Amino acid sequence: MAITEASPAATAPVDTQLLASVNQFLALEAKLLDEGREEEWLDLLDEELLYVVPIRLATENRADEIQRGAFRIRDTKYHVRMRLQRLATGNAYSEIPPSRTMRLVGSVLVQRTADADVVDVTSALLVYRQRGIDDHFDLIPCRRNDTLRLTAEGPRLLTREVVLTEVGLATPNLGIFL
Amino acid sequence: MTVTTPATSLDADVAVTLDGVEQALDNHRLPVGIFNDEAVFKAEMDQIFGTCWVFVAHESELPKAGDFVQRRIGVDPVIVTRDGNGGVNVLSNYCRHRGTQVCQTDAGNSRFFKCPYHGWTYSNNGDLVGTPNKHGAYADNLDSKEWALYRAPRVESRFGFIFASLAAEGPTLDEYLGGAGWMLQMMVGLHPDGMRVAGPPERYKLKSNWKTGAENFAGDTYHVGTLHYSNEEIGLAPGLKSNVEVTRSYDFGNGHYTIGFPFVELAGPFAAFWGYDPETAAKFDLSGLDETQRHMVENEPPIVGTIFPNLSFLRSPVPVRVGEMEMAVITTFRQWQPVGPGEMELWNWQFVWTFQDEQQALDAYVAGQFTFGSAGTFEVDDTVAWEGAPKAAKSPWMRRQEMEFSFGQAHMSPVNREPDPTYTGPGIKRPTGFGEHNQISFYRQWVKTLRQGAQATRVQEG
Repeated sequence: MAITEASPAATAPVDTQLLASVNQFLALEAKLLDEGREEEWLDLLDEELLYVVPIRLATENRADEIQRGAFRIRDTKYHVRMRLQRLATGNAYSEIPPSRTMRLVGSVLVQRTADADVVDVTSALLVYRQRGIDDHFDLIPCRRNDTLRLTAEGPRLLTREVVLTEVGLATPNLGIFL
Repeated sequence: MTVTTPATSLDADVAVTLDGVEQALDNHRLPVGIFNDEAVFKAEMDQIFGTCWVFVAHESELPKAGDFVQRRIGVDPVIVTRDGNGGVNVLSNYCRHRGTQVCQTDAGNSRFFKCPYHGWTYSNNGDLVGTPNKHGAYADNLDSKEWALYRAPRVESRFGFIFASLAAEGPTLDEYLGGAGWMLQMMVGLHPDGMRVAGPPERYKLKSNWKTGAENFAGDTYHVGTLHYSNEEIGLAPGLKSNVEVTRSYDFGNGHYTIGFPFVELAGPFAAFWGYDPETAAKFDLSGLDETQRHMVENEPPIVGTIFPNLSFLRSPVPVRVGEMEMAVITTFRQWQPVGPGEMELWNWQFVWTFQDEQQALDAYVAGQFTFGSAGTFEVDDTVAWEGAPKAAKSPWMRRQEMEFSFGQAHMSPVNREPDPTYTGPGIKRPTGFGEHNQISFYRQWVKTLRQGAQATRVQEG
């Protein structure tokens, strides 16, 4: 599934049950990733997942900033699985020990789509990351444009577009999930 | 316009440092101090980045008149523009009036750059074409030629790769590249339509010194089996531990290097041409290559290399999905951008062949970023391993200890490292990745260039 432009701000009322379910989902994701429970997080990803971090540039027009044909990451679920396998080898040096992270999720907006089982969700994410034996920390600020599939087992992440606030990353790598 | 070639007089402390480095290199050692030293860094900016041919952009980033990108030569911001006559200009991004940066964006399209401060306006070839309140401010007394944006005096391109030199005089680009031009031809000159960038460069800041990236890509096959072994474990790349011995090391002189990989010898004929699928490989036009190049691209092509000072590349087959046969061959060029003595930015471009269809290009781009990018399964580990050297350079104990790094494989490795007498290409070919010879050679070139600027370039005969 292709990632589409971020939806306009959802002003139409959304039923509180849906909003609660989406909030719970995003909070659970953040908690699992902060606690190093990536395998459990993997179960929350739809098989059709597309996870993209586009390249952002400083441009005169806002509309040109996000280069949607260009990316730092363009992962399907296969790629995410490979990353997790690599982290599990015990030889993925940059995440040994794992970064200590705190993902703060907020400004959640939910919007229904034409497909009754799919909702658009945008959220702000601020990741505090302290890596290895660093005496400093990195902040990774971003906004995420997601689509979630609503299933009998609960929401599943179908697409995620991570719009980084920075054009040049201050953290040395994106070895963690956003 | 007057152009000044940077002075070649070195700070006295730096001169002493370089003497020490040279002596240490004779013993296959390297003093750690050069990885975090303010005076050395300043000298690098003048003598290396102020004189050498430095990569600034690829022509596919500037397809139309008016297109521009903002880039760096050392720590200097430059605007690379395509003017109305199709020419490429490399302009200093400082307004001549008060130094305000006339271009505040990474890329765009414009015929003019107007300074936001007082409104001095420059055309995209650098000419000063407008000053507000001209009659009251200057009448006709302002010489618009004298007050143009400073321009890199020499700009040239090879296979679409645009290089600029801030020195008015010195070796030509062809003289400077020497055997590296021959190597580039194998990497990117195999089709009349050439290669194109898959997207703009992605940038990430590392707390490491720019030389470490350049040294690593010049020939460090030794680290691959340890730092990147996890990629072998998950089936992404075979033989990482064992391959160091059989890689070929090329030293083209002038600080340019490549590593060749014997794909056909190790994996069989299907791995010819880096493992490109036969349909793609059939599109390569080898008619412009000499016999040595033809043998290399088919059997043991360049997979990684460095062009002095700070441009490196890597080409490698990566399975589109592990366990399936289909390979995407990735091509990344990257620049180790100096930011400060112990800090750099990595600028990473993925390249694809212009003739490749959308799916092939996307596969190569995805696989390229998956392995070599800010989230790359290889690259993430490099980004942190390289942080050690600048810290060690600032360590009080290591300074008292006069810590030196070991490049001792150059005399300790029992593997045959003699230059191959049958090799007919430029420079030297060694039959193995052991020996750390390319890395030692890189630092010797660094010493020479700090002392003499790009005059340290040796022009190769024939």
